[in-house]
Amino acid sequence: MCLLHVSAGTEFRDLVRYPEIRIRENSMTFITGPSGCGKSTLLRLLNATVLPTAGRIEYKGSPLGGLPVLDYRKEVLLAPQQVYLCEGNVADQFAFFYGARGEACVSRAEMVNALEICRMPLSPEDSCANLSGGERQRVFLSIYLSARPKVLLLDEPTAALDEVTAREFLGNLKAACRQRGTTVVCVCHSRSLVDEFADEEIRLEARA
Amino acid sequence: MNSGGVVQLQLWQFSLIYLLLIIVIAIMKKSGVEKTRLLVVASVKMTVQLVIAGLVLSYIFQNPNPVFVVVYLAVMIGFAVHRVLSGNPGLNRRFQAIIAASIALSGVFVLAYFVCAVVGENIFNPQYTIPLAGMLIGNTMTGISLGIKTFRESLQGQKARVEALLGFGASPKAILQPLAKQALETALLPTLNSMVGMGIVSLPGMMTGQILSGTMPTTAILYQIAVIIAICTVVTAASFGSLFLGLRTLYDPKNQIL
Repeated sequence: MCLLHVSAGTEFRDLVRYPEIRIRENSMTFITGPSGCGKSTLLRLLNATVLPTAGRIEYKGSPLGGLPVLDYRKEVLLAPQQVYLCEGNVADQFAFFYGARGEACVSRAEMVNALEICRMPLSPEDSCANLSGGERQRVFLSIYLSARPKVLLLDEPTAALDEVTAREFLGNLKAACRQRGTTVVCVCHSRSLVDEFADEEIRLEARA
Repeated sequence: MNSGGVVQLQLWQFSLIYLLLIIVIAIMKKSGVEKTRLLVVASVKMTVQLVIAGLVLSYIFQNPNPVFVVVYLAVMIGFAVHRVLSGNPGLNRRFQAIIAASIALSGVFVLAYFVCAVVGENIFNPQYTIPLAGMLIGNTMTGISLGIKTFRESLQGQKARVEALLGFGASPKAILQPLAKQALETALLPTLNSMVGMGIVSLPGMMTGQILSGTMPTTAILYQIAVIIAICTVVTAASFGSLFLGLRTLYDPKNQIL
């Protein structure tokens, strides 16, 4: 079943224009293409952080513009490319993100579970002060994963990971999301990772 | 009355004070601070503006008329708003209007309370209203400028935080309010800090002026305390209004951050 549908000719300002895009439910879809072709903007459009200036995007058959946007975003999460963590330990990160949403934090067990899926063997009490770039990225992603969204949009989630860790991370993520029925849309630059993990690939062309 | 109180400054005596600026210029030259031009411009502007203010005020005091008071206040507020906005370019129109309204409304409200309720004078009595308005609006201008500048800088510097929380489904209001709270704290700190040191480290300008012109120190401190509390209130109210109402102009009903 088609979960997200971008109609042909959907535009954001004068910056990008998309072909028709269909994203199947419970699949792992990769978005590829040269730099500046609108991959990150597509994820923002799908998360309704920005709205298309032409064309339309549908989620489960209804246009995005008509849905209560904050509820929609909580169902279709976007983990942006740039990692943000606040001060404090790992549990503080989860508390900060859920607090900003005005919600109670997930349980400790849920944190540990999400961290494990992201191949980040930390305990919630560990400090984040001395983490490497790749470790920070995995803590960051585990917060989004812990929310158990319907759709998870990931913008270059493996950018700071080495090849081996990236492979383990995507393997775990794919298995967990399949089991939970989470649809994953992932921007990725590594050909070999896309070939190994993609159920579908959407290749965007360079801007004319 | 002045004969017993303050030494009337003779013009030639007064001009001696400008010689001190030579020390400032010498230090600037020595340490490579290239602000000599600004110092000269600032000194000349200050002198001319104050001379004009002195002449205008003398005229208004001799010919008290509510219209003069209202016009004087309007010019003061207009100038303060202009200074805040020109120091913070790129704010949207609604944000600018909110800043102007915050300065004007909280300034006029506290001023009216001070003059009418505390001093028990007519709000159109220029001798009270104009100097008090000057102190209130001047400090408000500094406070808001600082607050808005801090808010814009943290918005710029914390782009990753804004994006991360937005993607997680947090509302723009929940994302922006902590930044506004931080900026409000920054705006209030100078006023609060000056209250802590007041009377020990510094005798504030207004009190000094009153004492020099022959007022009893005990009366002068009452006015000083009242003024500081009034300043604190206006700075807080105007900064709060500017920041917390202003941040609502940064997102639309669809919760898109603009």
